[in-house]
Amino acid sequence: MGLFETAAAKALASSGVFLFMTVLLIAAAKRISTCIALFSVQSLIITAQIIAVSRMHHSTEGFVIAGLVLSVKVIAIPYVLYRIVEELKAPRDVSSSTSSSQSVFIAAGLILLSFFAVRPYVGVLGGDQAMLAAAVALVLTGGFLMVSRKKALMQVVGLLVLDNGIFLAALTTTFGMPLVIEIGIVFDLLMGVFLMGLFVFRIRDTFDHLDVSKLRRLRG
Amino acid sequence: MVLLFPLFLPLAGALLVFLCRNPRVVVRVALTAGTLELAAIGIAVYSIHSWGVLQVGRYLCADGLTSFFLISLGLISALVLVYSSGYLRHVPEGRFSSLRWFYGLVFLFLFTMVAVYLSANLGMMWIFVEATTLASALLVGFYNTEGAVEAGWKYLIVCTVGIAFALFGTIAFYLAAVKGGVSPQSALDWGTLMAAAPGLVGGRELLKLAFVFVAVGYGTKVGFVPMHSWLPDAHAEAPSPISALLSAVLLNCAMYALLRFDAITSRAIGSGFSHTLLLIFGGVSLAVASLLMIVQRDLKRLLAYSSIEHMGIVAIGIGLGGTLGLLGALLHTFNHSIAKTLLFFTAGNVRENFGTLRMERIRGMALSLPWAGGALIVGGLAITGMPPFGLFVSELVILTAAFSTAHYFIAVLMLAAISVVFGALLHHFQHMLMGKSDDVPAQPALQASWLVVMGVCALCLVVLGVHIPAAFKAVLRGAMAVLQP
Repeated sequence: MGLFETAAAKALASSGVFLFMTVLLIAAAKRISTCIALFSVQSLIITAQIIAVSRMHHSTEGFVIAGLVLSVKVIAIPYVLYRIVEELKAPRDVSSSTSSSQSVFIAAGLILLSFFAVRPYVGVLGGDQAMLAAAVALVLTGGFLMVSRKKALMQVVGLLVLDNGIFLAALTTTFGMPLVIEIGIVFDLLMGVFLMGLFVFRIRDTFDHLDVSKLRRLRG
Repeated sequence: MVLLFPLFLPLAGALLVFLCRNPRVVVRVALTAGTLELAAIGIAVYSIHSWGVLQVGRYLCADGLTSFFLISLGLISALVLVYSSGYLRHVPEGRFSSLRWFYGLVFLFLFTMVAVYLSANLGMMWIFVEATTLASALLVGFYNTEGAVEAGWKYLIVCTVGIAFALFGTIAFYLAAVKGGVSPQSALDWGTLMAAAPGLVGGRELLKLAFVFVAVGYGTKVGFVPMHSWLPDAHAEAPSPISALLSAVLLNCAMYALLRFDAITSRAIGSGFSHTLLLIFGGVSLAVASLLMIVQRDLKRLLAYSSIEHMGIVAIGIGLGGTLGLLGALLHTFNHSIAKTLLFFTAGNVRENFGTLRMERIRGMALSLPWAGGALIVGGLAITGMPPFGLFVSELVILTAAFSTAHYFIAVLMLAAISVVFGALLHHFQHMLMGKSDDVPAQPALQASWLVVMGVCALCLVVLGVHIPAAFKAVLRGAMAVLQP
């Protein structure tokens, strides 16, 4: 194993910590734009992990996927979301039903929970425990953001965080799937975000607000 | 070649429709493309029947199961296109809600669903199931009212999250296959996985985990309780032809994905685990949906809950397994599609005439709307599983499977739920049919094209209830052979 591979392995092992930090910061953030920036950072960390993994496994496909994730998740999607925030001209707070400090505590609790949750599966799934835990933590906090934040855009951010978690789980356990499939998945995500952005505008136009907790006409 | 036509015709149709400006030309293009698509599917089904499995490249493949599901897709989509040509006469022009957008999106939606059926690769299947959500979300929100926008948003978010879990399940399957010695390049190919399944016993725990995620993920799209929250809203708020497509084609599409995964899991680690899970999901969906049908007030919501109920019955059929269970489940997907299409078409007619779908405001359909009233009676009797309609046969087959495999609890639950549904529908429908209406219906006579499509539905239901044609039997046998090699 060359020097670069060793460095890549070390960086990979410690990068889980950075992901936990982004999770806690997103939970604490009060503005939608901060959350979008943090999502971008999170995707950047995952891109670095993909590069490290593909370097370790000497796979060229990995670099293509890294480039794809970099352009879509780090640049394109955050840019689109920023533009939507600008265009909407609506209040930019996340309007959470839990306070900032409560959210951080809940996110920390979810991280702890994910360490316990992955323990029985480390042997079965393979991969590093911290990375697997990070993946589960991303999925859980993504879900938490979706249920606790009232703004429609924050649901999109929650969904993206959740999706990052699943992507990370795939990366740590299988070192990526066939290239064509990965491209399709990322393309679906991009189209999904476009469409959700479109719906955010329609929600604003038909309801004059963006608070999805007030969308309760359809029940039962 | 035979497979490329049914796959790319809808895509070409969508492009053409988007290029047209004149609404009349749009409708004509749509009808032509729909007819061609039906013919292309017919040829594909015939070729599959004569040559067995067809493979195009690495990612497209069609076998008996594909052809069985393609038949219902082709039939229902053709009926829906004909029906829409009469339904969407007065669409309010708006952003994303013109005739052009309607047909363009419908064809994109059809393309994604055909692609799900033709996917040889489980990863690609996932991509296209997700794409079905994206293609249909704007159709659900087509009317741009408060309810429609809310339903579209809910549909998009709930299904995307649900499907994300199915992606994790797919990845776990891939991992299990790679660990079981399948080469990484072909570890997502269904055929390869099915052949290699007996050798995957070592990954028992991993496969169980994977199947749970897949069942929850695709189960969201099928509408299993408790992941069903998007379904009644989307069905109720979408234009009636789209409700028919969602209920009769999309739900089957998701069920098809589940069937594929269930086949691999059962072959690898025995059918105990996956079938029990499907029985639980099916039983809960059946019980909850049948009870909720009693309290519904909106006709299309009532029909939506009935879809959940029938998907529950299909899941029970798959869960019971064996030749009888599977046969009943497959037959039931087909019968349910046709009966539900007929009912949603009727609901569209009711909406045109009464301007509402609130059932307490609709009275006297039997007298004022004889054709639509008749369709409601036929559809209602069919959907509750009365003879001589097809659903009676498929429900009887599934019940026989339950009794013969000594699943008495499931059998009793199913009988009870079907009785509750019968009572609920009888209560709602007799209220709408009987009495005298204060409003005069806008147009009591049914358009000729609607009469034809509704007649075709009713005829299919009766034929399947009395005698299954030999050709259809052959297709069914082909589908069963794929799942039980």
